[in-house]
Amino acid sequence: MFFFKLFIWFNLRQVQHHRWRALAVVLGIALGAAVFTGVRISVHASLGAFTRSMDAITGRADLVVTQPGGRVPEDLVARLRRLPGVTDVSPVMTTYTRPAEGGRPFLLVGIDPLLDRHLRDWNRVDPGDEEADWERLVAEPFTLLAGETLAAQAGWTTDARVVLSHRQGDTPFTVAGRITMDGLGKAANGRMAVCDIATFQEFTGTSGYVDRIDIRLADPGTDPGPELTRLMGNGLRLGSPGALKQSGQGMIRAYQVNLSFLSFTSLFVGMFLVYSLVALNAASRRHELAILRAVGASARSVYWLFIGEGALYGLAGWLVALPLGSFLVRYLLEGISSTISTLFVRVHVDRLALAPWEILISLGLTVAVAMLAAVQPAREAAGVPPREVMTTTRHQQGGRSDIRRLALGGLGCILLVLPLAHLPGVNGVPLPGYLASLLLFTGFALLAPWMLQQVGRRLQPLTARRAGGPAHLAAGYVRDSLARLAIAVGALITAVALFTALVVMVRSFRHTVEIWVAQTISGDLFVTTRMAETNRVWEPLPPEVVAYLAQHNEVALVPNRRFSLSHDGHPYQLEAMDFAAFQEFGHFFWLQGDDELIPRLIRGEGVLISEVFAHRNGMAAGDLFRTQLQGRTLTWKVLGVVRDYRTHGGVVFCSLDDLAARMDGLAWGGVRIFFRDRDRELDAAVARLRDDLVLRFGDRLDMMRGQALRAAVLRIFDETFAITTVLLIIALLVAALGIATILTMRVLERARELNTIYALGGSRGQIRRMILWEALYIVTVGEFLGLLCGFGLSYLLVFVINRQSFGWTFLYGVDWAALALSLPLIVATALLAALPAMRLAVKTSPAALLREFGN
Amino acid sequence: MIPIRYKRWLLALLLAVISAAALPVASDDDAGYHTVTGPCDFEFPRDHGAHPGFRTEWWYYTGNLRAADGARFGFQLTFFRHQLRPADDRRQWPQPASSWRTEQIFLAHAALTDIGAGRHYQAEDIARGVLDLAGVETRAQDVRVFLRDWEAVIGPRGHALAMTGAEFGFDLHLAPAKDPVAHGDRGYSRKGTDPARASCYYSFTRLKTSGTLRLMGRRFEVEGLSWMDHEYSTAPLEPGIRGWSWFSLQFDNGMELMLFLLNLKAGGYHPASSGTLVAPDGTTTAVTSDHIQAEALRQWKSPHSGGEYPVAWHLRVSAPDLDLRITTTVDDQEMIAAQSAGVTYWEGSVTAQGRLEGQEVKGRGYMELTGQVQAMDERL
Amino acid sequence: MNHEAMTDTIIFARDLTRIYPLGVNEVVGLNQVDLMIAAGEFVVLKGASGSGKSTLLSLVAGLDAATRGQLQVAGRDLLRMTESQKTAFRRDVVGMIFQSFNLLPTLSVQENVCLPALLAGVPLADATRRADRLLDWLGMSARRGHRPAQLSGGEMQRTAIARALISQPPLILADEPTGNLDSKNGDMVIERLRDLNREQGHTVVIATHSDQADPFATRFIHLRDGAIQSDQGPC
Repeated sequence: MFFFKLFIWFNLRQVQHHRWRALAVVLGIALGAAVFTGVRISVHASLGAFTRSMDAITGRADLVVTQPGGRVPEDLVARLRRLPGVTDVSPVMTTYTRPAEGGRPFLLVGIDPLLDRHLRDWNRVDPGDEEADWERLVAEPFTLLAGETLAAQAGWTTDARVVLSHRQGDTPFTVAGRITMDGLGKAANGRMAVCDIATFQEFTGTSGYVDRIDIRLADPGTDPGPELTRLMGNGLRLGSPGALKQSGQGMIRAYQVNLSFLSFTSLFVGMFLVYSLVALNAASRRHELAILRAVGASARSVYWLFIGEGALYGLAGWLVALPLGSFLVRYLLEGISSTISTLFVRVHVDRLALAPWEILISLGLTVAVAMLAAVQPAREAAGVPPREVMTTTRHQQGGRSDIRRLALGGLGCILLVLPLAHLPGVNGVPLPGYLASLLLFTGFALLAPWMLQQVGRRLQPLTARRAGGPAHLAAGYVRDSLARLAIAVGALITAVALFTALVVMVRSFRHTVEIWVAQTISGDLFVTTRMAETNRVWEPLPPEVVAYLAQHNEVALVPNRRFSLSHDGHPYQLEAMDFAAFQEFGHFFWLQGDDELIPRLIRGEGVLISEVFAHRNGMAAGDLFRTQLQGRTLTWKVLGVVRDYRTHGGVVFCSLDDLAARMDGLAWGGVRIFFRDRDRELDAAVARLRDDLVLRFGDRLDMMRGQALRAAVLRIFDETFAITTVLLIIALLVAALGIATILTMRVLERARELNTIYALGGSRGQIRRMILWEALYIVTVGEFLGLLCGFGLSYLLVFVINRQSFGWTFLYGVDWAALALSLPLIVATALLAALPAMRLAVKTSPAALLREFGN
Repeated sequence: MIPIRYKRWLLALLLAVISAAALPVASDDDAGYHTVTGPCDFEFPRDHGAHPGFRTEWWYYTGNLRAADGARFGFQLTFFRHQLRPADDRRQWPQPASSWRTEQIFLAHAALTDIGAGRHYQAEDIARGVLDLAGVETRAQDVRVFLRDWEAVIGPRGHALAMTGAEFGFDLHLAPAKDPVAHGDRGYSRKGTDPARASCYYSFTRLKTSGTLRLMGRRFEVEGLSWMDHEYSTAPLEPGIRGWSWFSLQFDNGMELMLFLLNLKAGGYHPASSGTLVAPDGTTTAVTSDHIQAEALRQWKSPHSGGEYPVAWHLRVSAPDLDLRITTTVDDQEMIAAQSAGVTYWEGSVTAQGRLEGQEVKGRGYMELTGQVQAMDERL
Repeated sequence: MNHEAMTDTIIFARDLTRIYPLGVNEVVGLNQVDLMIAAGEFVVLKGASGSGKSTLLSLVAGLDAATRGQLQVAGRDLLRMTESQKTAFRRDVVGMIFQSFNLLPTLSVQENVCLPALLAGVPLADATRRADRLLDWLGMSARRGHRPAQLSGGEMQRTAIARALISQPPLILADEPTGNLDSKNGDMVIERLRDLNREQGHTVVIATHSDQADPFATRFIHLRDGAIQSDQGPC
């Protein structure tokens, strides 16, 4: 108890006394904590929405029958129902569809309400005639029950007539009722509708097959038995319903770790602030510490007083972070959930669940980080010998050997980065990559004092000649107060490094994607069946469309067919394409192999795999690729590896003709259209063809102009980096805050000396310039080291972290223009951050300064 | 857990079927369905099969069996067919229609009463009549009514019943000792004042039964007597009728009695209440309501639903001369649809004793009591 | 107070030496000092700046550690103490008074006085009662809520005396207690120390340049270059 009393008397009152310093530090830590918490809560919300949706769809199934790359024959349902030990068998079909009048896609679930009755629940929104609802769903074609969110967003009421769009064309539906956000109604966060399986099949034109069959066993613990396994012939797969959920959750969690790491850098920068303030307090109160020790306080109490001070900043920062974070989270949530939808799995998040565990994590982490930052100053404070109570002279700290030792430690950290960068990631989370990044930051921060010393030593004679007294004095001060300044520099290094690395990465990424888009996504018009992309299911194009297109002489067609499959639990696409036609108009972005391989590919001698596929599955050219497709086992040799930046996993490219031969025929799923005559009015020609196709087959096809598609791809990538930019800006903000705080502290600390200079005839201008020079030294060193660190980090981001978390790498390219433009901007910001210090130095009267430090 | 509302729907459907009424809809919705307005003139084996076009149809087997060790059992296996929409609605079906598209729904209900142990077991299932999930099919001379792996095959040499559930199951062979009996006027069985409130109704009143029965992992070789009803209709129950009490009794003198009482909300029985007495040679005598006097001797209150069922009866008929006392073998034979939510009817094994045309008789049979929990003519 | 101590030796030093490293050189702070001070004495240490007065006091107070020799204070061997024992020793055995007062600026007068007692685990209420009694005795009652910065030099030193007394230590060490005070305040401080010695039996050791304490001294010890030059008993 007494410890808290002492803490209040000794530390809290000091903090109160210098509340502006403390506030700056608390704000810095709060920004970091807010970003961290905001990011975690946002990803948590996405994860929750995804899990709820998956659970809602999975229901109480114990087993699921699927057909990789295809569908499950519906006559299996009756056979499965007759197996002993099987209590329920329910066919399920899902697709994304959208109102024909436009609007976002929603999830349509088709089930047999009778067979499904023990697997999934739902409730009607309006109390009333539920029985009639159900009877109607089964008895009346094209009726649906709309999820609460969908009904609210689309303004659907019971008995409303709505027209839905799918590959069969537009179909009018009747809303038989609305269901609440319970059970199945939670799927896609309520942006869903349920219809009878017959309606579903008629709407989507899928007869004879269902997407999957859910099975419930009398005793879920038992082995399903040989009868069940025997029914699984012909390429059917019997799996756990959780597999899909787990792979999706795994991807979101990996992304959470990635974002947590990035947002943690803000907290990391905030840590420097805590360190600097606690260190300042410990150093400026040395004599008071000696008194405390002399009157009987133990070294341990003193140590904990300062750890407590760190914890106090952490706690206060966290408290401030809560409202800040709740504001931030609104922005983050949308960005993060849309990124997850783009990159991994579709999620619908429109609400934030209270995540006490996440809030506790952020509290724990923030306080822990702040306490950790206070450890070194606290140790120094505890080491103050009580005999200093007898002396009045100030203690000089930071010996030369210390600095060298720190520098060597820093170098060691940096050297460790290289081997770490080569370690593989853990479950798609690039932990070694992150560790390497942290070591890089730490290493450069440790190098900072030595660098400052060198710069001070080199600059002092130089500046004396060139810039006169103030610069000379400033250089001297920098040299003499390395330890403290190193902290400011450390914060700056981290921020600049992060900035540089992200600029480099974004540039490399975008540049590479631009090349890829231009080379590989070539084409004037892309035609697929309606909603094919949204559903990631590419049904055959209607034959009349193919026939019609084939008549056109002025266009060349590059047909393809895609299948969504998974390899060792990693989702990927098998894309069968007409290599010969593609070769005329586009190119692969080769990583292994070159265009020479195309003839072999055309002959079906092997396949190309994308970089993402190669990394995820540890495969390279020369390996054998084996997959199950609609009950057939396909084996090819991998001939080459190409870059590919389409989302949702890797791609395997095979020859359309070859696959057609192996599968006994294969219809086109999509076609790219190239106009042979490139010179004439291309836009007009594309528009004409498009209009023509719309008129003939409009509601059954999705068409996209090549240009629009390429722009869309780039836009998606830009959106993905929106979150990163927020994190970056906040890290820079915290660093600027750090510089301002530390310089201000420096001024306060040296108030007497500054006043002496003033008393000895130095002008206010000279003092101001001295502080400016000091800031300049700090910023220069910080920026230089930050730049170095940033290049290292950018290497890690491009070749290690991106590869381990997303599976792709990019052509390394530095955006010199952006750097050249922004680095001086950082210098300017840092100097701007010195302004309060400069004003303080010349504003405060000597008497006030004396009071500040007198006792 | 199945949501209550959903269960209620299933129950509603089940009860609607049992009550020879369709889903709770007004009678002018009968448009498009066939109706029963006169003699049915059954022709077998054709009429053992399904009668699509009529809204509701059932094949109803009950029986009392005895195992080699003397243990007594009652069993019930019922298949219901329910048509959701008139056949004309098919014209509005999308083309090509999904193979799941149908207006025919099948329900099956099975129960087993372990009379010695005083326990009652039940199971139910439901599926639409497509894709081999459920249906009625005719193969040569055989008519097969099935749902999942439950089935009743009616052939020239008898009926074969098969049922498998989690707790119990049976495989039984039923050999008719008499030809099927058409009730009412050549099968035209009136259920209300309006001539269209009627069903086509025939029974196998004496089926010699043998086979195996499985209960909680034990097997019993059994023998006994069963009863089969086949009935189809479109009309819902007449307003004002609360429910009914239905009896099927087989006597040791070779005679059988079918009797149903339509209980009026206002009290007493609807004049359409009637029965059929079957002589040992198969000749029938109609029993009309004006000759019936029925008195409930004992009420049993269900601990599950709270419904009060008259489980002991004193039944007197003046022509033909009948005086019977009927009691349950086990009181709790309440049927719980969808293994759950509020029991609404009672169906179980009974014994009868008394006088039949001056002769002392003993008998066994089945009794069905409805309308105790909720009136059957009302919407649920 | 501690009446048995009246006849006991409270400070015993033999061959007490303290050498400070200063870069590559060494500075001898105290050189082979032999000393015995009995409980109840009022000792005045004299000597020029750097003669070793402060070094001797800080060794006796447990603030600093001797390079070699023996030192026992109130029966405890200071050279063999652990850090935590020394911390307890400073709290319980000695009360220190400094030339520059050494009050904690963030604490009020009362809190400064309470501090050692609280560190020793005395409940706050008890410590406050004791502090108020001492402040009353020193004429500081009206000032007890003030911060050190709001006090005059004399008031600060009286606060420091109260702080030195709060744990009722048998030994009071004062290092130039009047050095920063005018003569009136200086006299008052010395008188209080005399009262403590005469009326309450505290052993008092004062290191001072001034002669304000001379009339009350039972013993004068002159130090020069870290060694005892003369040791005169009571006149």
